[in-house]
Amino acid sequence: MKGFITLLLVCASSFISNISFAVEQAEEIFKQLAPSLYQIRLIDKASGEKSSIGSGFQISSDGLIATNYHVISGYARHPEKYRIEYLDNEGNKNELILQSVDVINDLALVKRETLADMSFFKLANQVPTKGQELFSLGNPHDLGMIVVPGTYNGLKKESFNDKIHFTGSVNSGMSGGPVVNQDAEVVGINVATSGNQIGFLVPHDKLVYLYKAFKESPPESIEQQMSEQLSKNQKKLITTLLNSSWKSKLLENAIIPTIDVPFIRCWGDSNADKTDALYFAAVASCSLDENTYLSSNFFTGSIEMEFRYMQAKELSANKFYHLYEQQIQRAGPGNKAGKEDVSEYQCHHDTVTTSNQALNSKSIFCTRAYKKFPQLFDVLYLSASIDKDKEALISHFTISGIEQSTALAFTRKFMESVSWK
Amino acid sequence: MEIILEEISRGHKLISRHKLDKDSVLIGRNYQNDIILSDPHICPAHLKLHFNGEHWLVEDQQTINGSFLEDGKTALDNHIVNSGDIFSLGKSLIRIVFVNHPVEETVRFSTFESLINFMRNPVVLALSILLFAFVSGYIFYLNKPTEASFSQFLAPAIGMSLMFAIWPAGVALMSHLTKHEARVMTQLGISFAFFNLLWMSDIIENVIKFNFSSNWPLSNIYALVPIALAFCLFWLNSYIGFHMTSRRRIMVAAGITLLFFGGGHLIQLSNKPEFSTRPHYDATIMTPSFRFLPSSDVDKFILDSESLFVKAQKEAAKKKGK
Repeated sequence: MKGFITLLLVCASSFISNISFAVEQAEEIFKQLAPSLYQIRLIDKASGEKSSIGSGFQISSDGLIATNYHVISGYARHPEKYRIEYLDNEGNKNELILQSVDVINDLALVKRETLADMSFFKLANQVPTKGQELFSLGNPHDLGMIVVPGTYNGLKKESFNDKIHFTGSVNSGMSGGPVVNQDAEVVGINVATSGNQIGFLVPHDKLVYLYKAFKESPPESIEQQMSEQLSKNQKKLITTLLNSSWKSKLLENAIIPTIDVPFIRCWGDSNADKTDALYFAAVASCSLDENTYLSSNFFTGSIEMEFRYMQAKELSANKFYHLYEQQIQRAGPGNKAGKEDVSEYQCHHDTVTTSNQALNSKSIFCTRAYKKFPQLFDVLYLSASIDKDKEALISHFTISGIEQSTALAFTRKFMESVSWK
Repeated sequence: MEIILEEISRGHKLISRHKLDKDSVLIGRNYQNDIILSDPHICPAHLKLHFNGEHWLVEDQQTINGSFLEDGKTALDNHIVNSGDIFSLGKSLIRIVFVNHPVEETVRFSTFESLINFMRNPVVLALSILLFAFVSGYIFYLNKPTEASFSQFLAPAIGMSLMFAIWPAGVALMSHLTKHEARVMTQLGISFAFFNLLWMSDIIENVIKFNFSSNWPLSNIYALVPIALAFCLFWLNSYIGFHMTSRRRIMVAAGITLLFFGGGHLIQLSNKPEFSTRPHYDATIMTPSFRFLPSSDVDKFILDSESLFVKAQKEAAKKKGK
């Protein structure tokens, strides 16, 4: 599912797709707001060319502009490589200074120089009603500013961090653009699309919160700010998970946990249709439907759990275990991260019996540390039952961007929740 | 006066040996000589040795290609022969020794002799090859993800056995080519015995990995066992196939071991990416019947895992510093 939601970032080489046409009313709104609307460009210093583009909108008279974090993430992580630039509706360009970010909700505040007070977007005071017509503004595929009409469809249910479900074509490059109601007040910020008229917006209250916090005390360092946000969000998420009810569910002869929260969604599959298979296998996997974008090859904040039940048909125990072993050879991380972002994994393995003696398994725990955010880790747990000759249960999870204590608390609860019937 | 003349190869292997009790010896290509050589670069009457009551003296018979000591420089004419001198005539070598020339010490039978003889026994040899073939077939069976009949495993089992027979056969051929006794059966017997030992060490290694946690430090040391086994195999191969000093034999066996394992390790190293995003862990599992140690509890596992965080942090900090 995660794959379907793509961030609306346009890299220098992008394709042209269908563009929605604005209705008359939309045009009116656009004319009125155009001076406060910007294209935000990330310029590669060495080549002098833009490496990615998005949209942004002014939210204060003194030049503060809101956009998506992912539009300027390159600068946030490598300030020596990029600079941020705006392009206004009259074609003026100038440099922008990064002021504050909210990585969890994918927001950023940048600032331009102003000579006099300027017009700006008003942030709405209330949430729209379902079905209300909204207008999304932005610069899709570098084709110039456009306005796209659509409707408000409430908050996305499966989301841990609120997202507005917007029915309308939100396209790449519109990232960071405002979505306004008929009174031209900002109710959301373009952030992602699932294709075919399904768009996602960051609710405006997140921006209000970020703006207020910034006015009170601007962050000392962006990195520090990001680190705190990641820790706080992950703690909130894991605490929510640990305090939610963990229901036991049968996976054939095994008991596995499911966490009763809407933002963890589960899928299943089995090989029951393959009559010539040497063993029967059923898989249940659950994951968080969202993650946090840090850079194009570094994501965090993901959770996935997977359970695989296997039963030998007419197969010797030795051969069954041999095939079973192949199933646990190549577990990988649940998030994208590279050499600059994380250490290599450190692993521990042992045979473990749960406290109710219900499962004896070979368990493997691995973790890697984040280089820029020293209190955060990615963890991976993999366990393979070793107490039955012709039945096997693999239980597995990965969590990214988690602190040590929460990671271990989750691991303990997870281990104790898996057993045989 | 008695004198011994040995015709030797360029590698100093003995070709023929003559013991004569005369005061004058003729060497050359025609049939009037005492030592008749067929080398076409030698003259029909090439060399004459004669005893003057005290020394043996050499007399070159005005030959076309000359006669020299082995160094190829010192001409032999009027040379006083010392025991052990090697003459270079044409392209042939002749070694001269006197009856009182010292010989090397007697080589004792090695303690391995009885093992070697046992493994060479045709029945034992057949059994050990059969065991090897069976294990190969069984591994093939374990690895095959689909069902397969017995005959399907026959071909890979025989194939593997033949492939592994190349090593002892090669060693035997080498010793034959270097004018040693080939002893094919013995080489086969010893090699297959060790191949089977290597299978067994594999199984033991798996059992150890399966039973012990990563806290157990000896898991890595066990990797030395197959290396030691291979060293023993190479040592015995050379013991059976070649005559050499025991020091040299150890060097040769160690050299081949290093070539095999060091080479393999080098290839692995060069293929290893600088940074791996995947975790490397030990995933060995075996059926419950191979478990002989009690399991840890969850508390212990969590406690052990805790130390990984500090390790990971240290590594993250280290790489950043570089």
